[in-house]
This record gives sequence, C-alpha cells and structure tokens, in this order.
Amino acid sequence: MLTRIMRHEWRSLVADRTLWIIAPLFALLIGYGVYNGTSWVSFQRSTLDAAQQEERDRFAKAKAEVASIEQGGQPASAFANPRLPSVAAGRTAPRYALLPPAPLAALSVGQSDLYPYYFKVSSQSKQTFTTNDEIENPTNLLAGRFDLAFVIIYLYPLLILALSYNLLSIEREQGTLQMMMSQPVSLRTFVTGKIGLRALVVLALAAGFSLAGFLLGGVSLNAEGAWLRLLLWIGIVAGYGAFWFALAVAVNAFGKSSATNAMALAGLWLVFVLPIPSLLNVAVTTIYPVPSRVEMVQATRRASAEATAKGSQLLSKYLEDHPELTAGNQADPNDFVTRSLAIQSETERLIQPVIDHFDRQVLGQQSLVDRFRFLSPAIVTQAALNDIAGTSVARYRHFLSLVDEFHKQWRGHFTPRIVQKALLSASDYDRFPSFSFGEEPTGVVAKRVLAGLFGLLIPALVIGWLSLRALRRYQLAG
Amino acid sequence: MIVKIARKEFTEMLRDGRFRWAAAIVFALLLASLVMGGKHYRDVKRQHDLAQAETRDQWLRQPAKNPHSAAHYGIYAFKPKLLPAMLDRGVDPFVGQSVWLEAHKQNEFKFKPAQDATAVQRFGELTAATVLQLLIPLLIILLSFSAFAGEREQGTLRQLLSLGVRKTDLVWGKALGVSGALALLIVPATIVGVVALAMVSDNGLLGASAGRMAWLFVSYLLYFGVFIGVSLAVSAWAKSSQMALVVLLAFWIVNGLIAPRAVADAAKRVHPTPSAFAFQQTMDREMQSGPDGHDTADKRAEALKQKVLKQYGVDKLEALPVNFAGISLQEGEEHSNVVFDKHYSELWNRFERQNRLKQLAGAVAPMLAIQSVSMSLAGTDFAHHRNFATAAESYRRFLVKKMNDDMTFNAGKEDFSYLAKPALWQTVEDFRYDAPSASWALSQQTISLALLTLWCLAALTFAAVTTAKMRVD
Amino acid sequence: MLEAVNLSKHYNGTAALDALNLKIEPGEVFCLLGANGAGKTTTINLFLNFIEPTSGSAKIKGLDVTAQPLETKRHIAYIPEQVMLYKNLTGLENLEYFSALAGHDKYSREQLLNFFDQVGLQREAAERRVGTYSKGMRQKVGIAIALAKQARALLLDEPTSGLDPKASNEFSELLKKLSGQGVAVLMATHDLFRAKESGTRVGIMKRGKLVNQLRTEEIGHTDLERIYLEHMHD
Repeated sequence: MLTRIMRHEWRSLVADRTLWIIAPLFALLIGYGVYNGTSWVSFQRSTLDAAQQEERDRFAKAKAEVASIEQGGQPASAFANPRLPSVAAGRTAPRYALLPPAPLAALSVGQSDLYPYYFKVSSQSKQTFTTNDEIENPTNLLAGRFDLAFVIIYLYPLLILALSYNLLSIEREQGTLQMMMSQPVSLRTFVTGKIGLRALVVLALAAGFSLAGFLLGGVSLNAEGAWLRLLLWIGIVAGYGAFWFALAVAVNAFGKSSATNAMALAGLWLVFVLPIPSLLNVAVTTIYPVPSRVEMVQATRRASAEATAKGSQLLSKYLEDHPELTAGNQADPNDFVTRSLAIQSETERLIQPVIDHFDRQVLGQQSLVDRFRFLSPAIVTQAALNDIAGTSVARYRHFLSLVDEFHKQWRGHFTPRIVQKALLSASDYDRFPSFSFGEEPTGVVAKRVLAGLFGLLIPALVIGWLSLRALRRYQLAG
Repeated sequence: MIVKIARKEFTEMLRDGRFRWAAAIVFALLLASLVMGGKHYRDVKRQHDLAQAETRDQWLRQPAKNPHSAAHYGIYAFKPKLLPAMLDRGVDPFVGQSVWLEAHKQNEFKFKPAQDATAVQRFGELTAATVLQLLIPLLIILLSFSAFAGEREQGTLRQLLSLGVRKTDLVWGKALGVSGALALLIVPATIVGVVALAMVSDNGLLGASAGRMAWLFVSYLLYFGVFIGVSLAVSAWAKSSQMALVVLLAFWIVNGLIAPRAVADAAKRVHPTPSAFAFQQTMDREMQSGPDGHDTADKRAEALKQKVLKQYGVDKLEALPVNFAGISLQEGEEHSNVVFDKHYSELWNRFERQNRLKQLAGAVAPMLAIQSVSMSLAGTDFAHHRNFATAAESYRRFLVKKMNDDMTFNAGKEDFSYLAKPALWQTVEDFRYDAPSASWALSQQTISLALLTLWCLAALTFAAVTTAKMRVD
Repeated sequence: MLEAVNLSKHYNGTAALDALNLKIEPGEVFCLLGANGAGKTTTINLFLNFIEPTSGSAKIKGLDVTAQPLETKRHIAYIPEQVMLYKNLTGLENLEYFSALAGHDKYSREQLLNFFDQVGLQREAAERRVGTYSKGMRQKVGIAIALAKQARALLLDEPTSGLDPKASNEFSELLKKLSGQGVAVLMATHDLFRAKESGTRVGIMKRGKLVNQLRTEEIGHTDLERIYLEHMHD
C-alpha cells in the first residue's frame, strides 16, 4: 500500500512543475557552493605551499651563510648572524606550523575564514605570531560564504518545505482528499507515503548532488577517516531533513489552508535560523562576557613596561630560577639578548592571568553553545557540518594546543643555547624541532557529530509521532 | 476613496490574529535589538575612551629614552564608534578594533571581535538593522500577499469593482493601509530608538549624528516601499493567494539570503585579493630594496650618505652638524611608507571595488543596496574603517618623524645612546580623529541610494500597472 | 448492505442528524431528499467515517464503520458533487491509482480501458490529463472507479447537480445498470425528477430527521413533489 502511494506521489511530482524548477536550481546552488568551498581550500593549500617553500629557501640561505662564516667569512650584519641561537630562533629559522585543510574542508568553510591556518613559530611570545589573520574583505566575512554548508543549513529546509508545506492542505483544497479517504486507506498511511516519497526524492537529490560535488571538488576519499566523515555528513543531512519533514507534517496536521501552512512554516524556519541563534549568542555573551581585547592590549603593555622597569634585577632572578640554562657558566648580566629573554618571560608571566581569563570565558561560551545548540536544528547542523569538515573552532583549538607545545619545545631547544652563547653550525640547522599536525582522533569528532545527529533525530521522531497521532483527529468533513 | 479603502485595510489587519502576533514578535525583537545595541555602543565607547586615554598617558609617562625607542614603543589607536552604530554593527565584528602605531611598520588592525565569539554568531547578530532589513519586509509580505488575490478568491473583488471603484484607487488605498499598519510598529520603535540614543549619547553627539539618522530613516522607508510595491503587484498578478505568497517568499529569500552571499563570493572572484602571506612577502621584498634604518651597509644608504654630505657641504659623517642615524631612520620610513601606500591602497581599493560590485548588485536585490547604505550611515562599513586606518597611519608617520627629527637635530654624535627628555613626548600632539560627515558617507553610496529609489519607484509603478490589468476572477 | 441504526450527529447540542434508522438492500437505490442542512451530507459522511457519530452506528455489510474503517471502505465507492481527481495525471492513471488503493492492483491496461468503455468515456480521453476534463467526464471517472473497485455500495452526494440534462441522463442510466447488478446506492439529491426516475425508494429529511419514506413505483412525479413541498412548509 505504502509503495503504491509513493509510486503515485512520484508520478504526481513528475507531472508537476515544482520539482523540475526546484531540482536544477538546487543542483546549481550546490554546485556553486562546492565550487566556492573548493577554491577556498585550494587557496589555503597554495598559501601553505608558499610558506613551506619560503621556509626551505630561508633555511638553505641561512645554512649557506653559516657554512661560509664557519670557513672564516663575515656575517652580513652583526645583528643577524645566523650562527647566534637567538637569531636562529627568532629570525632565520622559525618554522611554520601548518594546519592543512581536512579532507572534507571544501564542503563547509565554517570558521576557517576567521582564524589563521599557519603560524610562523619563533622564540618570541605567542601573541606576536598568532594574530596573522588571512586577508579578507570584512564585508565578505559579514555576508558569510556561499558554501555547501550554507546551502544545506538554509536552503535545503526551504526545498523540503516547498515540496511539503501543502502536503495535505492541497489535497483537501482540490477535493482529492475525500476521494482518497473513501478508499480503504488510513490517513496516516497516506501521509506516511506522501512524506516518505518526498523524503526519498529530497535525500536522493541532496546526497546525489553532494556526492557529485565532492567528487568534482576533488575531495580525496583516500584520506584517513574520509569515508566515515562522508557517512556522517550524509547522516546529518538526512537527520536535518527528517526534522523539517516532521515539522511540515505537524503543521499540516492542524488542517489549515495551504497559505497559512506556508506562512507558519516560513515563520518557523526563520525563527530557527535567525532569532534563536542570535538570542543564544546574546545569552552566551551575557553569561560569559569576553573582556574586551582592548583591555588585553593595555594589560600586555602595562606588563611589559613593568617587566622592562625591573630590568637587570629580573635577569638575575630569571637565571636563579633556571639554573639549567647557564649549565655552570656565568651569564653576562649586561647581555641584551639574555636580558630581553628575562623581560619576555616576566611579561608573559604577568599577562598569563589575563589570557587565561579570556580563554575561560570563550570556553564557557562554547560549552553553553554546545549545550543549548539543541534549541535550533540549524545550530546543531552548523556545528556538526563544521566538525565533519574540520572547520570548527574545536579543530582550531586543537591546532593551537599543538602549536603551544611546539612553541615550548622550540624555546626549550634554543633558550639554553642563547644563554650559553653557543654558536650554531650548519648541521645544527637540521636538528631544529619541526612541527607536524596530527588530526583530532576521528572518534572524538564522530562522538560530537553523533550527539548532534541524535539532537536532530529525536525531535524529528517526537514531532513526527505527535503529528501522526494528531492526524487521528484530522477533520475530513465539517 | 483611497482613505476609505486604506481604513478598511487597516481595520482588517488589526483584527487579523496572524498580523497581531507577527507584529508583536517583530516589535519585541526590534526593541530588544535597540536596547542591546545601545548597551553595546556604551560599553565599547567607554572601553575605547579609557584605553585611548591610557595609551596617551603611557606615552607621556615614558622616562628619558632614545626617541627611536619611543617610536618603537609607539601608541595604540582604538577605533571610535559613531552613535548610529548602535543600529547597525556592520563589519565591526569582522575588523580589528585597535592598531599599534610603531616605528617602521604599518600594522594590521588586530583582534576581530568575531574571533572571540562562537560559531553561532555567523547566523547573524540581532541588530535593529537585521530586523529592519529582513523581518519587516517579511511582515509586509504577510500583510499584503492576499491584498488582491485574497479578495479575488472571496469574490469581494468582483463586488468592489462592480461598485465603480477605480483600480488605481484600490492600489494606493491598500498601500496606504499597509503603511498605516507598519507605522504602528515603526513610529513607537523610532521614538524608543531616539530616546535610547539620547540616553547613551553624551551631550551634543545626538545632534551631530542627526543628519545620518535622518538619512537612515529615509533609506529604510524607500526599502519598505519596495516591498509594499512588489507585494501588491504580485498579489494582483498571481492566480491564487497561495501562489502570491510562495512567489513573494521566494523573492524575500533570494533578496535577503541568497544574494548577499552569492554576490560576496562572486565579487571575490572578480576582484581577487592576495593571501596575507603573499602580501607580506611582496612588501618585504620591496622593503629590502631600501635601507631598513638599522642597516647602513647597503647601496641606498651609501647614496643617502653622499646626498647628505653634499647637502651639508662636508666630506665625512663625523663632520655633519646633524645626526646621520636620525636622517637614515627617517629615510627608511619614507621608503617603507611608499611601499605601504602602494600595497595597502591597492588592497583596499580591491576591497572597495568588491563592495562597489555589491552595491551594483543592488539592482538585483534591494537588500544589497540598503545594507550598504545602512552600514555607511552607521559608520560601520569598510570605507569608514579605511578612513580611520588612514588617519591612524598618518598619525603614526607624524609621530615617528617627530622622533626621528629629534634624533637628527639633537642626538649629536651619541646615536642610539642619546636620551631625549620626557618633555619631548609632550610635543607630540594627541591623536584626534574626526569621523567623516554624513555627506561624505552619502557620497560613497550614490549607486545604492539611486538603486533604492529606482527600486521603490519601479515597484510602485509595477503595482499600479499590474492592478490596472488584473483579472477580476 | 447499508444500515444506519439510531445514527445521530450533534454539533454543540444541535442535531445535524437525529436517530436515523435506514436499511438499504443490494439492488436498491435510496434517494435522500431535503433542504440544505437537512442532514443528507452528514449521513453520507458518517457512512464514510469522515466524521464520528455522536451515538448510534453506521454499518456496511454488517460491519460498523467506526470499528473497521478500512475494511468497510473496500465495499463502497464515493461520488461527491464534484469528483476531484489529480489534475496533473491522466484519467487512466487516476483510475489505476484509486483502484489499486482499493486493493485491485492486478488490472491490465486493457481491463482499465474497458471500465472507461463501460461508463461511456472515449479511450482517447483516458490518456488526457484530468485537468482538461469537463464535469460530466469526471463524474464518469468516478463511476469507473466504483466499477473497478467492484463496490457493493455507492454513496453519492448530489452527483448530478450542475450536469447538463444529457450527461445527467447518462449518469442515471449507469446507476440503473449498477443497481441491476446488485449494488446498493445511497444518493443525496435535490433533483426530484432524477430521484423518481432512478430511485427505488426516496426518503425526505428535515432538520436531521428522516420524516418520510416512499417507494417510487407507488407514486407519480407530481405526488412526490407535492409530498416534498408539504413537508417543507411547516
């Protein structure tokens, strides 16, 4: 019976113009979205390549200069002698920490246009190299990117609603519902069949076009975890779709006119994509207000002034605290480089509480959003798609923590050599630490995404169940 | 006649539960956004005022030190907000709020507020502008999609026309009715808005931004006019009210949702911008072809030396009556300034070309036109940001030159061990920034304003024409 | 075949149908007459289980329609004032779909077209979209559906109103043919002439009550009109 109804619905859809207008339009939008995402990823890749190239060139040049100095040549500048560990650590040998785009990055630009994806890690304080944002017209950032995630979060529900806002109301308005109900078919079977076919069509369109997009967009499925991510992606798209279908049935179950249904559904859609997220944002920033960066700038400046003022007294304390650095040798208290190390370390110590406060507040916001994202399926979907595509803040934070470790390792490597005034040889340049990015374990990502999937499916099932129940009381005749 | 029709429309809308609900929600959101906008404005203004005073204080309290060290220490500039920014936050979340003005470098603005927010913010912030640009047009659509189509379905249109009512009277009456219902929403909101503005603003600021506010008001009225016209036209043209609604919702979605993003990506393709990496690399390369102030080894330095020796008629640096390091530093600044000017202005021109493309796309989607006008009048668009960045940069150059000149004329032979007295810091005037006038903002928006006016006229004409030709049933 | 036992429907205290008792045997054509709002359509909606009775029951083949809504619908066909079909599909596709829903999904194309022949619809019309059909043609498709699903009872709600006399006549002929095959028919109508022509019994309804029942063979046309108007006057 169900397949009968679905076959008939398919025939009706094919005979109707709506699908033929919507499907190509949808394909076009998906195509444009994937195209934009792909260009962004290849832009990032070429930037990362350029950075690596620059690093190789810089190292080759420095090594050549070191070799020539070792053979008795003069450094080009006394300030920039590449044999000095301080010069190497801060100037000639900083290494890039690169955040390569994840396999599905082209599908959702997410937050990746807002945060840097490579850092030139040097011995200087982290603040000096973690603020190298990518160039972007702020007006474009405001508008947001037209990527596949946008098409799915905003437009895909509209496609679903366009196909099902008048699911029952149109049958009633054109009188076929009564003809239908004089047959031995229950209203629930009828509705299930109608919605089922639409769900199949929409899902096939979304999955089919997206898959075509992945392949055209050069998503490599050989990468680790790519298949799992792809599967999760399709799961989220299906779950999000299920929610909107359920909502369409629920609104139809009230038995109002098609125009009223259209208004109600458009209103609900708007509420989920605009007021709820922005009110959540307001709530979150009120509960965990992030202090102004302006204050942080000032705190840093105060701290650095304070540290500089303490000057030499700081240096001896610094050396006392780090006996391993001098390794028995006497450090020269008037040495500029050693002294600035001490000042830097003190400045960082002074502003650490300010930075920690920032991080705590931002994390607090994030955990609230994680908890309350379930208020709107659009937020759940946004978070899940960004997670799958590897363009979420979580992955960026993971990257930052790896960079942090690497920065410590970098300083750990150079600081003793700086204090001891060691001279580097060309072969030392090959032994500098280097950064390698390890993805967050796929399991962790999958767990977050699955929580989101449940956050979509459970409301969908509840709404679907309630509306099928409500259909029992559906008024077929006055 | 028109007034009678308008009054009937108005009464009907007021009795319609759907309208009452929708209007109440929109009104509540509008009020909430005004209150939040006001609070945000006040917070940011206080922070920036305090920070600006503190950074000045830090500058003045420097001990005796070498002027070049002082130039390295520099000063921060914090971007001030204009009063109407509380209505439209524009690009502010996506541009850095402060810039470090120091020797040698034109720094980027750091710390975009959006970076410290969660991804939820990307759904858009609830500002008065969002409500005015997206929600009120939706309300207009809900109010008027059935204006003609609905009457046709009920058969009342037949009745009306059989009474000898002119179709044009019908259009203007209905338009007036919708406007009246809308006014119920907008007039109180405007009053609340002005009161809120008066409360958060220091004396005199309100008057100073009155011009901008008045233009904002007019622009939004034009924008609403577009939606009233289009809605009535579609209602007259459509076969059924359901169809009218679907067509109008589609227009609303394309206008408010698809067009801004699609055009932003298209603009990026037409006027691509370099990566930050390539941008920096190019500037570094060009910078190195000149002395960087610390190095005296290179050819440019030699040329400078010869030039200075010749100018003072001496044959060696020691014989110069001035300090050569100071001259050399300033020469380095001048050289890098040329590089900065070239690259930054090229980059920013590209941004502006992208934005101009968006303004032109206002011909397709009036949202793009009103967005551009609104941000500009609120002082939160890129042009205002650039204006501030340029002012800050020229202050930086002024400050650094002052330091270098002091070095040149007072350091004698001491070079970098010369210490200037704290009185020197006083001689550098404080950074003052006057935001550009409303007419400056408007002059950036001629395309958008023209398109908005055209849209409004075209939509209303379209409504009149389709109604004149509409079928009775 | 069709049976109403004390069937009542109240809306907010007012009776739309008041204790209707009615039995229609196979081969009978029962015509319900009465003014607008007399309860004719309510009766039909009750048999269709579109609305729930306040008390009493409607039975089809002895089965209560509220207890077994799907089983009872296997045996009936419904033809409203306007037979509404899927406009974008052809007559044949509509017929196939509805009969399949009724459980008859084994018909060949030829068999389906045969039903069109039986109700007097041209075969070329069967291939056209229903959107292009006249009202009479759609009513015929309605009968074709009844034939295809081998309905044992027909529920007709003013099926001939608005039809031209020729179409109306053709419709009556079809009804006669069906009742000849043992189909029970319940028809609500305003058309006294049609009721006398094609009905075996007529019932006159007034404010929810069945106030009179007559056998058509026992009375003439003018008698029927007189009796009807008498009931309407007081």
